Amino acid sequence: MKLKAASGLVALLPSLALIPVLIGILKGLHIGGLPVLVNFLSSSLHPSLNATVLQSSWKGLQVTVYIAAISWLLSIFLGLILAIGSSKIIFQTIGLPNWLRLLIRMTLSFPRAIHELIWGLILLQLIGLSPWIAIIAIIIPYSSLTARVIGDQIDALDIKPLEALKVCGAKPLSALITTIIPKIIPVITSYGGYRFECALRGATLLGVFGLGGIGTELQLSFQSLKFEEMWTSLWMLAGLMFIVELLVNYFHKINIGSEQTEFNKKLRIDYLIAIITITFLCYQFISGDNYSNISWHPIQLPSRLELIQAANELDIIKLISNTLILTFLSAGIAIGTPPLWMMIWPHHSYLRIQSLIWGFFRLIPPPLSALILLLSTNPNIYVAALALGAHNMGVMGRLLKEGIEQNGNSTAIAFESLGAKPSQTWLYGCLNPNAPSYLAYSAYRTDVLIRQTAVLGLVGGTGLGWQLLESISSFNWAEIAVLIIIYAIITLTGESITDHLRIYWDSKNKLDFTS
Amino acid sequence: MSLHLKGKICILALISIVGVTFLGSKAQDSLIVSAIPDQNPEKLNRLYNLLTNELENKLNVPVRYVPVTNYASAVSAFRTRSLDLVWFGGLTGVQARLQRPGAKVIAQRDIDAKFHSVFIANTSTGIKPFSNQSGLKAIRGKRFTFGSQSSTSGRLMPQFFLQRAGVKVSDFSGGNAGFSGSHDATIALVQSGSYEVGALNEQVWSTRVKSGNIDLSKVQVIWRSPAYADYHWLAQPDIDNRFGKGFTTKLQRTLLNLSRKSKKQSEILDLFGANRFIKATSSQYTDIEKIGRKLGKIK
Repeated sequence: MKLKAASGLVALLPSLALIPVLIGILKGLHIGGLPVLVNFLSSSLHPSLNATVLQSSWKGLQVTVYIAAISWLLSIFLGLILAIGSSKIIFQTIGLPNWLRLLIRMTLSFPRAIHELIWGLILLQLIGLSPWIAIIAIIIPYSSLTARVIGDQIDALDIKPLEALKVCGAKPLSALITTIIPKIIPVITSYGGYRFECALRGATLLGVFGLGGIGTELQLSFQSLKFEEMWTSLWMLAGLMFIVELLVNYFHKINIGSEQTEFNKKLRIDYLIAIITITFLCYQFISGDNYSNISWHPIQLPSRLELIQAANELDIIKLISNTLILTFLSAGIAIGTPPLWMMIWPHHSYLRIQSLIWGFFRLIPPPLSALILLLSTNPNIYVAALALGAHNMGVMGRLLKEGIEQNGNSTAIAFESLGAKPSQTWLYGCLNPNAPSYLAYSAYRTDVLIRQTAVLGLVGGTGLGWQLLESISSFNWAEIAVLIIIYAIITLTGESITDHLRIYWDSKNKLDFTS
Repeated sequence: MSLHLKGKICILALISIVGVTFLGSKAQDSLIVSAIPDQNPEKLNRLYNLLTNELENKLNVPVRYVPVTNYASAVSAFRTRSLDLVWFGGLTGVQARLQRPGAKVIAQRDIDAKFHSVFIANTSTGIKPFSNQSGLKAIRGKRFTFGSQSSTSGRLMPQFFLQRAGVKVSDFSGGNAGFSGSHDATIALVQSGSYEVGALNEQVWSTRVKSGNIDLSKVQVIWRSPAYADYHWLAQPDIDNRFGKGFTTKLQRTLLNLSRKSKKQSEILDLFGANRFIKATSSQYTDIEKIGRKLGKIK
């Protein structure tokens, strides 16, 4: 019991990051931005219903769905192939050396070390303006990420059935297909649905940086502070997110707790056909657009001398330390706030309000929330940390809520009947059983956050991301190359640390984190 | 509602989002037009067909507008030939010409040959308007923001004048200047007091003052910069080959002929904040190039 209490408290610990951030923000707080803030909030109640605005937002929404759907399907497919291709089970069955597998895995970690936004900005330089850029930019890191997650799942599978089949004389390949594929399908449907949401968020953010879709609409209205028009796009995006969330929940529910009935299998095929149809329609749209041809426009690669010179000119230590501070603070907020909030207000009706709040924060891209925050406080790194943290808090909050709902509340009821206070009941009955899986997932989120620091350039000199945007605007390729290498090193180091943490928390946890 | 029904409804909803109204596709070679997101980009993004229709009518080629949301991607897209005719700022135009040699400067607005930036300050700072460049020294130690990183009037020229007055960006509070992202955001952030001083495009400032969007008791102009050449239309070098001999000249004439007398053309001019377009040459921008190199914005 003592040990269990610890993991719940560990989940609360990161919320300590709120203290410096809130102090930093409150210190600079002023009411000068109040009129703009009020305008922003009240505009949500009367978004612009002007026909051209509606039409243009609707088109943007469609493009975002196209980009998300195609990149999602392709990245799952690619990820699956890569996952199987780099799994222990395959290498042992076919009899390939293990070092080759480790080498493949290491190479695969590079694509995901770079945020899709940075891939997008680089591809834009090399390929030109095309809807395919956003798609490729999402596919590169997402397929590598999917490969990692599904690969971990495959390696965790029980290999006894496989060995049994092989003993009986089955060919390695057919033995593999019969044993692995059925086990992996539930993982894909459950994790895959979640990836679609990520792809939508990714596509929206790419749009904010000019790669088309609803993000572009949002950003254009926002740059001119036309909040009513911005809310037209935001509400449309909210509607889409709502539908997708229902779908993800649905796939989740048919996955857990239900036996693999014939009915479910048939249903899956129905949905598979529906999803492929949607993606095909999207593909038709994009390739029907004469604007979609891709041609290669290489840039002159910087020489070694130029790279060294660029590395010397950049204040690398300051950039890295700022990036790390930003990551730690925002990770603390993202991970620690949801359990803290739920502990303080554990009642059901509050939980419902909380899910609305999580949804709101997931909806608004961090660059937008940063500017809104900045209107009422002085510029400093805490503004960036809060904006980034709040967005990811939305993701973590929902995850925690879902985890608790799934695990049932028998422990909580037991505590309650013993006369514990609601917050104690929540801490020991709800949070503790879920904390290990929550923390294991938090490790993944922290990786994501390191990459996401790239999206905030508003506050001067906030880190690598800020410098990268500045270097891109000067077309300084040597600096860009140096910054990307540093990014990759930080992310990969971070990943290996969080990997250990995740394995530690996973070992305390019977459920897998995807559920 | 049963679980499965719910799932089906969601799928249907998704299909209808994807399926409703498809854009027509164009197989023909079209003239692709774009503009840096500078002022009212959202308006341009929605009303671009005013411009494309006008160009289509006068030039007899299909014309398409493609929006971009940041300055650097407009330059890259011009280099990779994704865009044929782009409304650039001074700096981005020079960057684009260097990356795509032979690109032609087509036209600028009547106000662009002698364009100005303004420095604005929150009145609580107590900084009084001044007329001498050295007055910029007063903003040392203040919270200061530029607009977009590649903006000529919101970053390059203000930084140049600051440098000439002996003020470095590291002299500002926090050791760096902020980048609000747009001229409008600069006004909002300085008016709110989050940043104490900022610099932006004079034209955007005076338009917003006229429309009554600014609280002049909270924010005021403290300095108007000397004049420099700014925005211009830039075209790909090879459009004559693609659309026929003399196409560049025809295009230039069409833009120069846009007049306040026609209602439609008037609306187009409004989108760009112009009274009319006038001839321009690349030699007007040599100073911008020099300054760009000096400040590291051009390699």
